[in-house]
Amino acid sequence: MNTVFSEEQRDCLQELINVAMGLASDKLARFLNTFVHLQVPAIELVNSTQIPAQFEAQYSSAEAAFVSQGFLGNGGVRGEAIVLYQLDNAHRISALLGYDTDSASELEMLTDISSILTTTFLNGLAEQIDNQLSYSAPRVLSSRQNNVTQALIDTACHWELALKVDISYQLIDHSFNCDMLLLIPGEAVLNIQQILDRIVEEY
Amino acid sequence: MSNDWLTGPILEQLNSGVLVVDEDFQLVYLNSFLQRHSSVQLTEVKGKSLFQVFADVPEAWLRRKFASVLELQSPSFSSWEQRQYVIKLPHLRPVTSSSQYMAQNCTMLPLHDPTGRRYVCMLIEDATDAFVYQQHLQTTLQKLEQSNRVDGLTQVLNRRYWEEQLKLEVQRAQRYRQPLSLLLFDLDKFKQLNDQYGHLGGDSVLIELTARVRALLRDTDWFGRYGGEEFGIVLTNTALAGAVEVAERICLAVSSKAVTFHEHSIQSSISVGVAQLDTTGDRAHEVLIGQADMALYNAKKEGRNRVISYSAGETAFMVKTV
Repeated sequence: MNTVFSEEQRDCLQELINVAMGLASDKLARFLNTFVHLQVPAIELVNSTQIPAQFEAQYSSAEAAFVSQGFLGNGGVRGEAIVLYQLDNAHRISALLGYDTDSASELEMLTDISSILTTTFLNGLAEQIDNQLSYSAPRVLSSRQNNVTQALIDTACHWELALKVDISYQLIDHSFNCDMLLLIPGEAVLNIQQILDRIVEEY
Repeated sequence: MSNDWLTGPILEQLNSGVLVVDEDFQLVYLNSFLQRHSSVQLTEVKGKSLFQVFADVPEAWLRRKFASVLELQSPSFSSWEQRQYVIKLPHLRPVTSSSQYMAQNCTMLPLHDPTGRRYVCMLIEDATDAFVYQQHLQTTLQKLEQSNRVDGLTQVLNRRYWEEQLKLEVQRAQRYRQPLSLLLFDLDKFKQLNDQYGHLGGDSVLIELTARVRALLRDTDWFGRYGGEEFGIVLTNTALAGAVEVAERICLAVSSKAVTFHEHSIQSSISVGVAQLDTTGDRAHEVLIGQADMALYNAKKEGRNRVISYSAGETAFMVKTV
């Protein structure tokens, strides 16, 4: 199974993601009633076994969170979106969403933020390829109690390829950084490659 | 909405709740599951505000959720693990479940009709079974943790857990420069007692004396079974003189009253060794145990039923009889 992306496929994907990010930031800005600036996301296709090591340094502190949400579309597009962020970063955005910072609602806040970021972005991506996605409920796989790296190792081994998207949201007076990982199983990678090839042909 | 022959009956027989509101939170649709569980009729509540019909839903929270669904046109979720229920509904396990209300997983989805009017659809799944299992699991884990700490016979701490606490308290005392004392005591002539009354007799003495001792301690003291008939008490924030006082009270509490076992009245006593923490370093707790043990040994040698404290550098020991 050839899961290596050609240069054309890669460029096409980067373009789709840029547009999806634009759509997402527009929606977020209207929803949060504040200006949202999104840097062009850096994307990287990585073998999923390399992922834990990549994130170990950045998220090894106990104050990181890791939320997973499954997505499923037509034509064999499926995978798992993972949002990783530092908790103090999350608290900045939680105030905008109207949450108290007490620990009782922390998990709820984490799942809400991740779900909003994931679904607005992926809906934007799906829109461009005439697809529609459904989502599973978001689930916190790791927070204060658990080790992010171990949780990543446990999750990553089920997937062949990961699309790593570094997202940095700048809101006025708030900056919010997170990493989004799209973990995609092998046969879904092939389906996505076919979709990308079709788009490339059309232009 | 339910005119269609296929989706209509399915919606009505679905074992999950389906609720639809318009942008002003006015109820548009409730399926049978929700109507039955909440004892309302769609015909009576259609067009009424969701917050009026279900008065105890968390309004601010739900408004925020629905706003994000409408604005972002993307789904929103609520899990029973974070919020046990959104709408208070009875569940179908009234006897076998300890919870009063149905635990719910909710999915909120954006919808629009052919004219483009926007709605929010909320799907409510019954997660009571998962909730009940989770509660069983948590109670079991708590019991397991408890039994992992406690000595089965006497219900005081077991040796491993007690020693861990001693170690932590020694570190804490060193860090905050607070006094800390240790009592080690041993039931006198326990073997003789077992021979005379049997092991059950010996056990009942251990149970009774630990109960008496426990009644004399503070919540902050750590009382554990160190060996067969040997026990240890960590007295936090207590200097030697105070510890000796406690030890004497304990000694008296045991010897002043016999333990009744069946028709027997068993007279018993304990010997106590007392030491105050005076060393530093990683092995300080071991040194402290050694010092208290030495004092205990001396208490035995001096004739039992007494308290002896360890004093550094002295070869003669302070003797106090009760």
